Amino acid sequence: MRHPPRRCLMLFVLTTLWAHRATAQVGATISGRVTMDGGIALSGATVSLTELGLAAIARDDGRYVIVIPAARMPWAAVTITARRVGYKPRTMNVIVVNGPMTQDFSLEGNPLQLGEVVTTGAGTVTQVEKLGSVRSAVSAELIVRSNESNVVRALAAKTPGIDVTSSAGDPGASASIKIRGLRTIRGSVQPLFVVDGVPMDNSSFSTTNFNPVDAGAAGQGGQDNGGEIEGTSQPNRMVDVNPDDIESVEILKGASAGAIYGARAANGVVLITTKQGRAGPARYSLRSSVTSDDVTRLYPLQARYGQGQANILSSTCRSTTTLSPSSACNGSWGPAIVGAAFDHAKEAFRPGHQNDGVISVSGGSDRTTFYLAGNVNDNRGVFLGPNNYFDRSTARLNANHKLAETFTVGASVAYADTRGHFTQRGNNANGLLVGLLRTPPDFNNFPYVDPTSGLHRSYRLPDPEITTVGQTRGFNNPIYSLYEELNEADNSRTFGNVNAEWIANSWLKFNYTLGADYTNDRRLEVCPAECSDVAAGGRITEGYITNGGWDHNLTATARYHIHDDVAGTVTLGQNLNARSFNTFSTVGRTIVVPGFNSIANTISRDPPSDYRTLVHDEAYFGQLSLDLFQQLFLTGALRNDGSTTFGSQNGRNWFPKASVAYTFTNVVNPWHALTYGKLRMSYGQAGQEPAPYLTSPTFNGTGLTAGVTPGTGLTPTQSGRGGLFFTTTKAATTLKPERTAELEGGFDIGFLRDKADLSATFYKQHTTDVILITPTAPSSGFSSEARNVAILENSGTELSLNLRPLSTATQAWDIGLGWARTQSIVVDIAGADFVTLDASTVQNVARKGSPLGVFYGYGMIRCGLSNPNELPVGVLAAACVGKPVGTLYIDDGTKCSVDIGRPCGETLDQRVLGDPAPKWTGNVHSSYKYRKLSLSGLVDIKHGGQMHNGTKGSLWGYGTHFDTQHRAICTGGATLNSDCTGNLQVFGSPGWYPGPVTGPGANMAVPIGENWYRNDIAPCPFSGIDEQCIEDAGFVKLREISVGYSFEGAWVSRALGLTTLDVRIAGRNIYTWTRYTGLDPETSLGGSISRVAGADYFNLPQTRSLVLTISLNR
Amino acid sequence: MMRASMFSMRLVVAVGLMMCAGATACGNFLTDSAAVHDPNTPSTATRNQLLAGIEAQMIDQQEGAVAMVICQWVQQCAGIGGRFVEAQGHYAISGTTFNADFNAIYTRGGLISLKTAEASASADEDNVYLGVLEVLEAMQVGWGADIWGDIPYSDAAGGSPTPTFDGQMAIYTSLQSLLDRAIADLAGSGAGPGVADYLYGGDKARWIQLAFTIKARLYLHTVETAGAGQYALALSSATRGLSSPSNDLFAVHSNATSERNLWAQFQLTSFGNDLVAGKVLADLMNADNDPRRPEYFARNPLGTYGGHDAVTNNTPADQVSPIFGSARTSNVTFPQPLVTWAENQLIIAEAVLAISGPVAAQPFLNAVRTKYGKPIRAVTLQAIMEEKYILLFQNVEVWNDFKRNCYPRLKPANSSFSAVPGRLLYGTTESQTNGGNRPPEGALQSSRNANDPGPCPTA
Repeated sequence: MRHPPRRCLMLFVLTTLWAHRATAQVGATISGRVTMDGGIALSGATVSLTELGLAAIARDDGRYVIVIPAARMPWAAVTITARRVGYKPRTMNVIVVNGPMTQDFSLEGNPLQLGEVVTTGAGTVTQVEKLGSVRSAVSAELIVRSNESNVVRALAAKTPGIDVTSSAGDPGASASIKIRGLRTIRGSVQPLFVVDGVPMDNSSFSTTNFNPVDAGAAGQGGQDNGGEIEGTSQPNRMVDVNPDDIESVEILKGASAGAIYGARAANGVVLITTKQGRAGPARYSLRSSVTSDDVTRLYPLQARYGQGQANILSSTCRSTTTLSPSSACNGSWGPAIVGAAFDHAKEAFRPGHQNDGVISVSGGSDRTTFYLAGNVNDNRGVFLGPNNYFDRSTARLNANHKLAETFTVGASVAYADTRGHFTQRGNNANGLLVGLLRTPPDFNNFPYVDPTSGLHRSYRLPDPEITTVGQTRGFNNPIYSLYEELNEADNSRTFGNVNAEWIANSWLKFNYTLGADYTNDRRLEVCPAECSDVAAGGRITEGYITNGGWDHNLTATARYHIHDDVAGTVTLGQNLNARSFNTFSTVGRTIVVPGFNSIANTISRDPPSDYRTLVHDEAYFGQLSLDLFQQLFLTGALRNDGSTTFGSQNGRNWFPKASVAYTFTNVVNPWHALTYGKLRMSYGQAGQEPAPYLTSPTFNGTGLTAGVTPGTGLTPTQSGRGGLFFTTTKAATTLKPERTAELEGGFDIGFLRDKADLSATFYKQHTTDVILITPTAPSSGFSSEARNVAILENSGTELSLNLRPLSTATQAWDIGLGWARTQSIVVDIAGADFVTLDASTVQNVARKGSPLGVFYGYGMIRCGLSNPNELPVGVLAAACVGKPVGTLYIDDGTKCSVDIGRPCGETLDQRVLGDPAPKWTGNVHSSYKYRKLSLSGLVDIKHGGQMHNGTKGSLWGYGTHFDTQHRAICTGGATLNSDCTGNLQVFGSPGWYPGPVTGPGANMAVPIGENWYRNDIAPCPFSGIDEQCIEDAGFVKLREISVGYSFEGAWVSRALGLTTLDVRIAGRNIYTWTRYTGLDPETSLGGSISRVAGADYFNLPQTRSLVLTISLNR
Repeated sequence: MMRASMFSMRLVVAVGLMMCAGATACGNFLTDSAAVHDPNTPSTATRNQLLAGIEAQMIDQQEGAVAMVICQWVQQCAGIGGRFVEAQGHYAISGTTFNADFNAIYTRGGLISLKTAEASASADEDNVYLGVLEVLEAMQVGWGADIWGDIPYSDAAGGSPTPTFDGQMAIYTSLQSLLDRAIADLAGSGAGPGVADYLYGGDKARWIQLAFTIKARLYLHTVETAGAGQYALALSSATRGLSSPSNDLFAVHSNATSERNLWAQFQLTSFGNDLVAGKVLADLMNADNDPRRPEYFARNPLGTYGGHDAVTNNTPADQVSPIFGSARTSNVTFPQPLVTWAENQLIIAEAVLAISGPVAAQPFLNAVRTKYGKPIRAVTLQAIMEEKYILLFQNVEVWNDFKRNCYPRLKPANSSFSAVPGRLLYGTTESQTNGGNRPPEGALQSSRNANDPGPCPTA
């Protein structure tokens, strides 16, 4: 972490002071009152003298006062404008004279938000009708109404074209947001988050990454990707922002809107503005909500057959001294249960609850305003036991002070403290659902410790004697995992900024922001001595993550006015940004004293690991806007980025943008019904920085050679002398940022006298210079290099329609519909067959000609899809004559190694098996207000898009899935049809792999039991044939519903001393309609670490909530 | 208005100044070392550190996967157990098998490190250091040319993304001049590497002798193509080569896990027992009661020494000596002999035999046999080459001798091969990324290098 260059800061201060000395003293005073229909005061309206650069904000009674210094007296007519969000701005001409004068305003409602100010990033603003790209704003009200404590989750279904996926429902679990699809193969897919002008870290880091040894993936210094498929849920760090502090969110969806952020904006930009105080008496707000949570769905399990194999319960499954041999006792392929059966689907869960309290005080004088808020959010999850919670406390102070009429300084400081205990999940013998869902129904998981020995008992070691101390249990008893494992993440974060605004004169303004963001994240994971698999004997992982960054942003904005019909602004800016990431971690093994959770309490330790990155960016940008005839609005911008992540030969990169908005209804209005119409088009380029240090030449001091076989090798240190050698990856001196060029066009129209508006947007994105690590000729001295080689394309459509059938003084009814579609295609990946995007339980790849992120793997042998050489030469071709593409080949037990009447698995070529990206997404929201009663609802629709349901495939194999309740009874080897009786099925018939079939075994009825589910191609994670686990994951989800009532009036103020008292009852994730057979189609194994959300492998369940909120306002 | 505009002017100047200041005062912002250079791995290496890597890389070449397969191909060793060791012993290899070994000539501690270290030594005018590096470069590149024939050299590791391939004979010529330069440099000024050179401790005299022996080796490699005149050149070099066993070049190892002798490391893996004594070597040593038998092999279950016949592949297990348990492989720090006085004596013997006949050559063969406590044997080419075959156990050089003189007579260990293969296949990464330059290579059965056009007759 470096400090901002001191000279930059000092010069800024000196310059501003020098100029400030020159500002003048007193002059005229304009005051007045801003009201709405019926003379009701409008507080918070901004009244500004644009030409003079002066403004004031109306107080609660609607009154405002603007003081014009003598030096600023215009001695001419000027315009004075009153604006307030939700109302049409009104502009008057006034002639300013010495002394006091009055100007009142009465504002009309503004459902189309015309004239409202829109933040467009890096200190630039514009007005709605001048915006050349689609506007995607999310209001504070919508954020709060979502009842989500994570702002990323709160954005779900709020605007078309963004895809929010919560990884799971346990407290603190991350959510991922993807805007207009994916645009990178190795980089991040998450947008840039900017809070009050300062970029903010939204990373997610799994503690499992601190343990590359057990995760089994090669990783460097804690940068292993094991956390994508196992370990606990982890928050994405935007969770540190209290959603209640948010005033507004603007989403810059594409490169054309986000180009002002250059090399960091390819995935879009989310601009968050926090609340500010307003002049007037202090306002108090106290909001308290209690939430009751529940899992959305229980896993479908069978309850008829017990532990065993081939219809036999082996006696060795009840050994007391050693783990039962795996295959015979792993599964539930034993005889029908005679005694009690236990419902494992339910037993690990309980109702969770959440207490959320917010208190805020805001107010101030004409010179000084402040907003002070605190939030405590305690979330107890739905899993049994004490280790399932996420608590967050935040505090924020935003304050502004006018040193002079033209010079304002401000500061915004926030602190967040989060403490969480998490639950192991995913591909993990110590995870909750692996143990829970695989437990045979005849085994009682309670108590989870043996009453005699006091040791961990699981279905594979049910009555452990004391000699089993420190031994694996195969899979943990899920209740043991919940009560005994400790997975702790404590995070402290401070972020905020100091800022200054100096209105130099009537046309020139300077803004400065210096922001900082510092996080200290401590992780401790303890798996006690009787944990399973790689953690047997006990394992402690401890690590620290320290993130820091600062951001300096200086802009100068000049307004020009050549003529009434020719005006605009020019903005020039400089941005410096530094970000550091540091980890330090150790894994200790074999715990000595139970319950003493320190690395010192272990017998051996993996080598400690530290890893650091530091990135510096330096950018200059300029933007020019030109307003012609108050109907044609042109904007052009250019940013030049330098970054330490760029290769030395491409140290600086340009990012242009241009847009045009044409408000045709300002001139001609051919249709009476059309109250507003705008055509817009924009083009822009934005980028994604390479990962740090791909450009840096590096030397290595370990592992010089691979030796003869794994486990042998030499280091360059023979005889103990420290040696080094070149790493095999060449320093990429020409590396550039990945670059997305986007062309966006569309229109916004308002019709039926503002009772309806429709917005349509079409875009095409062409992403070039996508980074891949490509092989190079080893004789050049290096065998790989990061290069800008791949090309991707996305195109899409976004529509939104808002209807306001009722809008009277007493009632209002809004209906909104949103629809979006994104299609992607991989244009080129430099000759590679395919490139894998994530570490996952299914392969998501970039493959030329396919959408980005498709599932790629082996399927069942099918006509026209499989390699024709799969079976003995000519067999498949002969069987497929005249059959449609996709016809399932059914064997007679001689052409591939299965029995008669069953399909075959592919072995030669992998193929595209599906696409996790939805075909389209939509949302329907509606709110109704009658006097003080309000109702609202939000439906989130994801159509199409698939999931690899590895949980199902695995449980088929283990014989616990509900599907296996209907089974043929198999004996002997339990692999052949002749071993089994009952449950006869015909492949290709309705209800059993329907569709056309061919081949010598077609239309044969075969018994389906252990022979198919455990041994054959069915259990996808074990058979490697993924096709039958790919499922439709589309859904319609009732995301939000709420009923509220606002009490106000005399009795509230007299009896309670309040202005209003709001009561609201709401539901969240109330119901999901889906064909997905797993727990919830909204899930992601890798959370926001992964680029693609398409894998379900013992992912933790989602939750639904009932929320009661009481707000007291004064 | 006047005042305002002057004020504005001042502002513009001020802000302009400030933005300039941003650019200049922060001029080092984008070159900040911690942001540009990966703090997790070193971004620079000293010459001494590179030398440690280069020497370790050379040791790996001599002891690694290639040496193990060659040991089988020349039937000093044999593979059993049905796994990869046995398969490779019967020539089941592809371009991926030795991809890493091919790449290592150039990457990591290979030519890229050598060139960097040489540039540094030249810049510091340390001729002695430069000479040491030049000898190592000749060994490194010579090893590659011996095995693969035409390989990139003059254009390699020098900035070209797709280096051209040089002809094998041209490479040998370049290496002779390189070694001449090395000998001159070593005799020049400079402090040399000193103890950073863990092979010879920076001893100039020994490096010079080594350079001469390597020259002699390389001359012998060209006899088959360049003619018998190469013997005289080999002889004149070898007479100035390693002058006593105390100057022998050994690998250096320690007990640290990653610094152990690779043969010993391999024997400790689960594949270790797949590599056993080869019948040809065991029989030759038994015939002479060679005292080195317990060093090379462990006793078989019958209590004697014997080898597995890779050709018939049906030797009874109790007749086969394991390698695991021999004096060499039981010792993880065993210093593998790489280039020795004894080899140099046998080079002289071969050259003198060709030039002056058996009587003149006899003392040189005697010197080696006496050193190992064996009786005098009359000089023939076969006698010299068999002695060298025993001496160079586990050393890739024995394959070069065999390809030239075809002693001992070997039958191929795979019925679809008419002769023992004469080279390895190019690494797949190089083939895929530099295919335009890579010469075509046939199947392993028929592929031979330029220095070895004729296959050996089968025994």
